[in-house]
Amino acid sequence: KLGHPSELPPEPVPNYEGDEEFLRRLHHVLLEVEVLEGALQCPDSGRRFPISRGVPNMLLSEEEP
Amino acid sequence: KAPPHRPGLAKMSSAEPGRFFCTAGRGLEPFLAREVRARLGATEVDCVSGKVFFRAAAGPGELRKLRSGERLFLLLKKHSPLPVSGNKGKMLHEIKSLVIEEPKYWLDIISVWRKLCGHEGKTDDVSQENTLALKRKSEEETSTASKRQKTEQVRAIMSEECQVEAEEMCVAPERMSGQECWIESKTSSEFPSKGSGENPTVNEKLSFSFRVSCRCSGAIAKILTSQEIGRAIGIALVKQCGWRADLRDPDIEIFVHLNDIHSVVGIPIFRLPLANREYIKTAGLRSTVAWAMASLAEISAGALVLDPMCGLGTILLEAAKEWPEACYWGADISDSQLEGADGNIRTAGLTDKIELLKASVKALPLPSESFDSVISDIPFGKKFKITNDAQLLPDILQEMERVLRVGGTIVLLLSQDLRKCVDGLTKCAGSDSPEATADGDSKADPAKARSVDGSSSCLAHGGGESFLRSRHFGSLVPDGVYAVSLGKTDAFIYKCRKVSAAGNW
Repeated sequence: KLGHPSELPPEPVPNYEGDEEFLRRLHHVLLEVEVLEGALQCPDSGRRFPISRGVPNMLLSEEEP
Repeated sequence: KAPPHRPGLAKMSSAEPGRFFCTAGRGLEPFLAREVRARLGATEVDCVSGKVFFRAAAGPGELRKLRSGERLFLLLKKHSPLPVSGNKGKMLHEIKSLVIEEPKYWLDIISVWRKLCGHEGKTDDVSQENTLALKRKSEEETSTASKRQKTEQVRAIMSEECQVEAEEMCVAPERMSGQECWIESKTSSEFPSKGSGENPTVNEKLSFSFRVSCRCSGAIAKILTSQEIGRAIGIALVKQCGWRADLRDPDIEIFVHLNDIHSVVGIPIFRLPLANREYIKTAGLRSTVAWAMASLAEISAGALVLDPMCGLGTILLEAAKEWPEACYWGADISDSQLEGADGNIRTAGLTDKIELLKASVKALPLPSESFDSVISDIPFGKKFKITNDAQLLPDILQEMERVLRVGGTIVLLLSQDLRKCVDGLTKCAGSDSPEATADGDSKADPAKARSVDGSSSCLAHGGGESFLRSRHFGSLVPDGVYAVSLGKTDAFIYKCRKVSAAGNW
C-alpha cells in the first residue's frame, strides 16, 4: 500500500517475468521510489514500524541512545 | 640522490615515474603499502614507522585517490640518519648540506612538483621569470661574501630585480641582516626606480615564497630544536635561491624529517591531507581507518554489507565509494547519528547504495544469514563503562553472527579491553591466537602484520566471568588483528570469519 499510482496487481501474475509493463512498474516501486514518511507493516503480526525522513524505526522498545 | 626526471612534454595521463613518500597513522603502514602497489602499480615500496616510500608513474588524479595515507610528498632526499655531535654549528652545517642544492636543482623540482599537484600553485609565468633571475643570481653568488646573521624574521625582502641590478649590493651590508640589507638597497640612488615603488606586480611575480617544516626526534632532537633547524634551512634557502619566506601561505613547503631512522626531505603535493574526503560532510571515525577496515572485509560485486552501529556512516561511505558494486546497510539507535549519516550519504551522492535503519544491534530486524560482511566500530571509551562493554559484547556478537552468511567476514574496531573479550569468545573455534607474526619483511601483506603489543595470547581477562565463558562463538574464527592509532588512543582492527552455522560445530 504505497498510496502511489503504481497500479500493481495484488499478486504477481503468472509468467510475470515476460510482462514488460509489470516489470517496469515493479522496478519503479522497488528501486525508484523512496518512502520518506510512512510505515512498514509486519505481514505476520501487523505491527507498524514508522518511517521518518526515509529511515524506518525498527526498535521494539525505547533504547538508550 | 640524483634529481628527479626532467619533465618532458608528457601529458598528465602518461606521467613520469617519481619517488614519493606518504605518511600514515601508526598501524596503517601495511595497508598503505598494499594500496600503493594495487592502485598505483608502485615499486620499491619501503615501509617504516609512520611512512611508506615508493616509486610510481602516476598523475595527481590517481595520487589523490589514496585512501589509507595521511599526507603525500614528493621525495627529494632520503639518507641514513645524520651523524650527531654535540656541536650545534657542525650539525647545522650537516643539515644544510643535506637540503641545499644549486638553484637549477630547485627549478627542476618545482617543475615536477607543479605537474603533480595539478597546478594548485601559481601560474607558470612565475617559473620562467624565476629562471632568469635565479640564473643571474647564481652567477653573482660566487662574488658575494655576505655573512649569515641570525634574524628574528626569516623574511628577506630583497626582490629579484634588486639582486640583478647591483652586484655590490650584497657585499656592502656584510654584517647586516637580510631585512636591513633591503633597507640599505632601497635608499641607494642606484635603483630606487626599479624598486618596489614602481612595479609592485612585477616584484610580486618574481618572489617565490616558501616555508620550511621541520620535525626532528631521537638523538638529533637532543642537540637542536625543530625551530632552530627550520630557521637555519630557511635562511640558507633564501640566500641560495632568493626566495621569500612566508610562514602563513607559501607557494611551496619544504618538509624535513630527521630522526634515528633516516633523514628525509620532501615537498607536500596537496595542501589538504588525503584523509580529508570531499565526499564526507561530517566526519566520525577517521576515514583512513574506516577504509582500512573495509579493505579487510573482502567486499565483492553484489555483496551485502552491514554496519549495525553505523553512527555517522563513515565506514559505509568509505566502503561504498571504493566498492560501489555492493549494497550497504547501516543501523543505529540514535536519531542524531542517523540524521548525520543521512546527510553524509546525500552529500556523497550514495543514496542508492546505502540504506539506513533505526534499529538495535542486539535485535536486528534482518533475516539470518543474509549478509556477506559485517563491519563496525564498536563504541568504547568515555561513554561506556568497561563492565557495560563486556556485558554487551556477547549479545552484539551473537546478532552479528546470526545475520552473517557462512563464509562471511566480520571486521570490528575494538579497544584493548573489548579485544580481550572477543578473543575469549572466539577462542574455542580451535584455531590459535589470531595474531600471525610478521614476516620480518616490511613488504608483508597486512594479513601478516604484527600487532603493536606483541603478545601472543589475550586470554587475560581474569577468571570468574562465567557469563562470558558460557557464550561461545565456535563458528567465528579469528583471521587477523591489527593495532592502529586513533590519535589519542590505540585500537585494534579485529577480523573473523564465519566457518559454519552456529550450533553445527
